Amino acid sequence: MHVTSTLTGWLIIVGCYLVGEFLVLVTDLPLPGALIGLLLLLGGLLLRQRPPEMVGRGAQPLLSHMSVLFVPAVIGVGLFWAEVRENALGIALALVATTIVALGATAWFAQRLIKAKRPD
Amino acid sequence: MLRAQLAVNQITSRFAEVVSSTVTLNGMVWLAITLAFYGVAIKIFRASKGHPLVHPLSITTIAVAAVMWLCNVSAAGYREYASLLHWLLGPATVALAVPMYNQWQNIRQLGAPLIISVMVGGALAPLLAWAVIYLTNAPMAIQMTMLVKSITSPLAMETGAAIGGIPALAAVFVILTGIVGALAAPLTYRLLNVTMPDAQGVALGAVCHAVGTSKALQMGEVQGALATVGLGLNGILTAVVLPVIL
Repeated sequence: MHVTSTLTGWLIIVGCYLVGEFLVLVTDLPLPGALIGLLLLLGGLLLRQRPPEMVGRGAQPLLSHMSVLFVPAVIGVGLFWAEVRENALGIALALVATTIVALGATAWFAQRLIKAKRPD
Repeated sequence: MLRAQLAVNQITSRFAEVVSSTVTLNGMVWLAITLAFYGVAIKIFRASKGHPLVHPLSITTIAVAAVMWLCNVSAAGYREYASLLHWLLGPATVALAVPMYNQWQNIRQLGAPLIISVMVGGALAPLLAWAVIYLTNAPMAIQMTMLVKSITSPLAMETGAAIGGIPALAAVFVILTGIVGALAAPLTYRLLNVTMPDAQGVALGAVCHAVGTSKALQMGEVQGALATVGLGLNGILTAVVLPVIL
């Protein structure tokens, strides 16, 4: 029972992904196919207005173990190692300094905006 | 009609390639090695109570790279053997619709301030990073890759590819951004006196995607929920805007 509904939910998700890929290929949209799939699924869930039990169950393993799916991609950096080393300083600065600045600025700004809307 | 047929052919042949490189001895062995290391990495991550420095992705990658080095397997080879994992990123991206749907009430309630904040973070983080990398004269492909560093990896990789960046590098930039943000968030918030849970969460999600979101979940339930919203909204906004304007 659990297994079938997880599997059905999983197939719905894969189906949305494949339809998204298909639409991007057919229409030459400059967007990732997976994004179209995400929007399709979100749209479908919002239209149904019911807790997405099957899809939620199918999504769970993909969401909680997403990290392992990135391993091949990260390993692929080996292919670009020379370029990374050549630009190491700039990359390090861009990743560390600007991330902290952007995080702080965004949080500070969000706090001001939300406070303006619902003053405590 | 012809276009539709071509598209279907392309999708099925890509899938057939994934299956045929997985169902080989090398494919099975490397898949098993990766999953085994990942299992250990999760245990370490949980034992450390989710410290961002021991994120399962970094531990698994380092361990797999070490075995590759010992067995003299190239990055291109491993990528072929483990292409099933890579393919699953597509469905995993689609699955992000579920937490977004669950947070829909939150998004509607906070409304404009939430969306504006996400847009500010979503524009500020990549532009600052791009400015730095531009000033150091990095090649165009690295500049383009930097633009997607604040969104969740599957979207970042596809969007990076669409704007002329390097998908593999995008995945690394994204994960490092997340780790930096998760480590720096508590002190940064204290210094800037950001005490509101909603603001803490939305910034972590918008600027530091999934790694930031897991940090936000540790900080509290509200932070976690708002980070999911920031992650999803900025992912969608960036993935839609960048390919269109570039």
